[in-house]
Amino acid sequence: MAVCIAVIAKENYPLYIRSVPTQNELKFHYTVHTSLDVVEEKISAVGKAMADQRELYLGLLYPTEDYKVYGYVTNSKVKFVIVVDSSNTSLRDNEIRSMFRKLHNSFTDVMCNPFYNPGDPIQSKAFDGIVSGMMVQPS
Amino acid sequence: MAQCVQSVQEFIQDSFVPMVAVLCSEDAEKVTRKNNLNFAELVRPFCRLTSEGHIRDPNNMVQPVKNLRISVNNVVTRPTPGSGTLSPAQRRLLSEVVLSCQPPEGGVANVVTAGNYDLNFNDRSLKASAPWYSAWRETLLELSTSKLYTVTTPWFEAYRENFLQSMPASDHEFLNHYLACLLVVSSSEAVPVEQFLKLSQEQHRIQHSGEYTNPKWFIPNTLKYYVLLHDMSEGDEQRADAVYEDMKQRYGAQGCYLLKVNSRTFSAGADEQIPDPWSQYLHRNNMHTQVRNTAISTANTNASVDGVSNSLDGHPLQLDAASDSGSLDALDAMTSDPKRGTGGPVAGVVSHGACLTLSDHDRIRQFIQEFTFRGLLPHIEKNIRQLNDQLVSRKGLSRSLFSATKKWFGGGKVPEKSISELKSTSGLLYPPEAPELQIRKMADLCFLVQHYELAYSCYHTAKKDFLSDQAMLYAAGALEMAAVSAFLQTGAPRPYPAHYMDTAIQTYRDVCKNMVLAERCALLSAEILKSQGKYSDAATLLIKMTSEDSDLRSALLLEQAGHCFINMRNPMVRKFAFHMILAGHRFSKAGQKRHALRCYCQAMQVYKGKGWSLAEDHINFTIGRQSFTLRQPENAVSAFRHILTNDSQQTATQQGAFLREYLYVYKSVMEGSEAGLPQLPLPCINSSATRVYFGHERRLAEGEKQAATHVSLDQEYDQDLAAMWCHLEEQVVAAANRGVVPVNFQPTQCCLNSQTDNLRFPLAVVEEPIIVEVTFRNPLKVPLVLSDLSLLWKFTAKDFSKAQDVLTGEATGEAITNEKEVLAPTVRTGLMLPYQLIITLVISHVSSVCNCFGLFWSLCIIKDITLDLLVVRGRQDLEIRGPRLNHTKEDKTLVRHGPDRRLDPIITPAMPLMEVFFLQFPTALLCGEIRKAYVEFCNVSSVALCGLRVASTHPDFFTFGGQATTCLCNWIY
Repeated sequence: MAVCIAVIAKENYPLYIRSVPTQNELKFHYTVHTSLDVVEEKISAVGKAMADQRELYLGLLYPTEDYKVYGYVTNSKVKFVIVVDSSNTSLRDNEIRSMFRKLHNSFTDVMCNPFYNPGDPIQSKAFDGIVSGMMVQPS
Repeated sequence: MAQCVQSVQEFIQDSFVPMVAVLCSEDAEKVTRKNNLNFAELVRPFCRLTSEGHIRDPNNMVQPVKNLRISVNNVVTRPTPGSGTLSPAQRRLLSEVVLSCQPPEGGVANVVTAGNYDLNFNDRSLKASAPWYSAWRETLLELSTSKLYTVTTPWFEAYRENFLQSMPASDHEFLNHYLACLLVVSSSEAVPVEQFLKLSQEQHRIQHSGEYTNPKWFIPNTLKYYVLLHDMSEGDEQRADAVYEDMKQRYGAQGCYLLKVNSRTFSAGADEQIPDPWSQYLHRNNMHTQVRNTAISTANTNASVDGVSNSLDGHPLQLDAASDSGSLDALDAMTSDPKRGTGGPVAGVVSHGACLTLSDHDRIRQFIQEFTFRGLLPHIEKNIRQLNDQLVSRKGLSRSLFSATKKWFGGGKVPEKSISELKSTSGLLYPPEAPELQIRKMADLCFLVQHYELAYSCYHTAKKDFLSDQAMLYAAGALEMAAVSAFLQTGAPRPYPAHYMDTAIQTYRDVCKNMVLAERCALLSAEILKSQGKYSDAATLLIKMTSEDSDLRSALLLEQAGHCFINMRNPMVRKFAFHMILAGHRFSKAGQKRHALRCYCQAMQVYKGKGWSLAEDHINFTIGRQSFTLRQPENAVSAFRHILTNDSQQTATQQGAFLREYLYVYKSVMEGSEAGLPQLPLPCINSSATRVYFGHERRLAEGEKQAATHVSLDQEYDQDLAAMWCHLEEQVVAAANRGVVPVNFQPTQCCLNSQTDNLRFPLAVVEEPIIVEVTFRNPLKVPLVLSDLSLLWKFTAKDFSKAQDVLTGEATGEAITNEKEVLAPTVRTGLMLPYQLIITLVISHVSSVCNCFGLFWSLCIIKDITLDLLVVRGRQDLEIRGPRLNHTKEDKTLVRHGPDRRLDPIITPAMPLMEVFFLQFPTALLCGEIRKAYVEFCNVSSVALCGLRVASTHPDFFTFGGQATTCLCNWIY
């Protein structure tokens, strides 16, 4: 499962970052931030006309020595980034895809909350729960 | 990668130049020594040829040689360490080069616009004081009009140049082996020809005796060029000419030269305007020699068993230096001389070429030209031809020869196994004159004289041969050079074979374990890729080259990779920033603090204000630390402050660490400077929640007496109630003034808070206290301890005359007892609460003055677990912003705030102060019940009280009646 899950606003500031507590949080912040370059590259690679039917899932952004970073961009340019341990080979592309879909659904629920101010850091318990379900459980 | 000053072609050409050795007689050395130079140094500035040379290739085609540079060096026979790594001395040299090359300060900042980011590439963003983000914006605005510059990284170029120069000569390639040897003899010698003979023998001995592995020579019969050095100021010119004629006879007109120098005598020092072309070479040189000296002196300490005097004995040539052979001294001159120099202050101050006139410069230039065109190029040409002939004649033979060697090395029967075996041991090694190496030799010669086409085909053939022999080191070398020469070919260029380079790098690194060569290869390849716009490939290449064994190299390469990322068509700013951070980290590990700081600052521009607080904190923290170690404590403090004022997401322990570091730095800044107390960011003051109370704090109840007031600091503000009291007061005033409310009427407000009307200056009375309540908030998760809190105030005496006398709280004036009343001298521990109230009193003693105070003193302490207290003093301004204005249209469109005068009271002269108490005041009454209550009025001031009036909203509920007291009251209806 994932070791870090992040939601990045359209303006590229973090709305939500959660990583496994056992590891250095700062490292994940850097990783996620740096991955935004690749996300932007991938978005801009798709032609303007095609932007509407664009596939939201961006696939593997880049592999590092220890991690694989996957990306997903909603139509409103909110980015989801999932970092997975490289050693974890059991995860298929399809599973990552479904993780993103689940995340997106939950994010939509957060946005539907009338008390949520778009652009604020996400503090929803339900969202937290979904994310926790996708994270590596500390054993 | 950052832009470099040189073009790529130039850079690569200059990386591989023909090498020429120098052997100098003692007398000749003396001649050049007059200029504080040795012979190699003397000619170095003139080693680039301005005119075009020609060379004939084996097919008799004329090939132009443009812009050739030759490298003239003294013969140094000291063996270099294993070729796989750089020696510590070389490492130190490189480190010094990088250290000495810092970005220019205060120069024009370069701004690169990348996507939404504008990146500023100069130290200036840092130089500007806190908060430097805004300063950065300013510089940016300044520069947005000027044209965009691309970034240069001179330290990297300096590093690269020195790195390539310090490459140890290797057996598998010949590019930096000596092609020729200059034998220099002075004309003042008794028998110069004899000296020439001696030097020539010396050279032969060095090359062929097998005593020395260093230096390496290109071809067995090295070109010897005889130079007769004539000192114009001393020697007999005719004699020199005669000797030269003799030399011509002996060595041929193209094998010798008469160089006349030192035309200027010392006395003619009038024209000092002669340019000093040596300065740019010698700074570097000094470092070179210094490093070399240290290397030697360490060698000395190791080998000083025999106890010979230190200066020369570490040298391998010392064996027969006891004899008066001048040449040996000359050999040693390169190393021995600066040693003399370093004994004095520093050789850098000495001017070079003091005895040379401009015509001398020209003569040297001519000499180099003559030597290159008449001596060196024909020599190379001849050798290319020879090698070519050999190769052609051997062609038929070679196949069988190669297969023979293969059989010999591989055992023939099981080639697969032997291949893997050989691979693991970096392949076989050829003897120096092996026939396989001849083609490589030829390729190198062609490459040096810029015949890249022939060079490429030779390298290509050589590569195939080496690969089939599994000579991996040789193959990698050939691959590398094949790629480079393919790139350098003009006209119908074949595509640059990047995969050659990749294979070469991989082979160097993984098979041969030779990081130096791998690095060279990577530097060349990255430069070439960059010139073709393949920034992403270049970046990958550079990042791959980073490793644990050299921090400096990793740092520089990471930085260059970072620059590659922003030069891409879609600039990858964040990747740039990330790699800058990595580079900064490696720089700091390599001891390059300033470069580290610069890297972090540049990365900061990307992370700043984007909500990535953990990363930002980390960078700020590092910047703070680095600035502190670089003695820029102001920057350190401001960087640390950013960490602490942010809504930090750090853990409590982390915050504690930050805070401790901050306080430590802050303290050291404070010790340095005396000018006022700087601002402390902690804890936060919630300035709008400040409450002010004028007058003594009333005792609410005393025995059965009950104060007839509800005004206190803690009272809740009630709009209706306040309006009612105000109305009542207005009525009293009107009644007292015979029905007219004076224009300057102002309802009395004892207690001011954020809800009261604070537009007017409140009135305070002399000798009466003013109580200020300030609300603190601790944004951190660690407890803060405050002590010795005091209020900072300013006192402006307003005589009724014009003279204004400004006294501040610190400046002791006669009129003011400079009592910064301290109410909380006790240490309050565990200030974890979101807010904390502290009340401070100020008593002013002067009448008819306007007293205003706006500053607040605070002291911040952190209590360690070990109970050592780190105490710093600082202050924070107490600025209260009034309510937002909302009257005019302008107010509504702009965000404007009205004034707030809560803290600027006017001190009036002493006034009577009345206290009123109720006695037996009923708390509950029945309907229609009449009860008696007593009211006690007393004046606690020394000023007489008169004209007491009582007002009530419901006058019909009260009646006055007394036994003894006379009623002074007038009822107001």
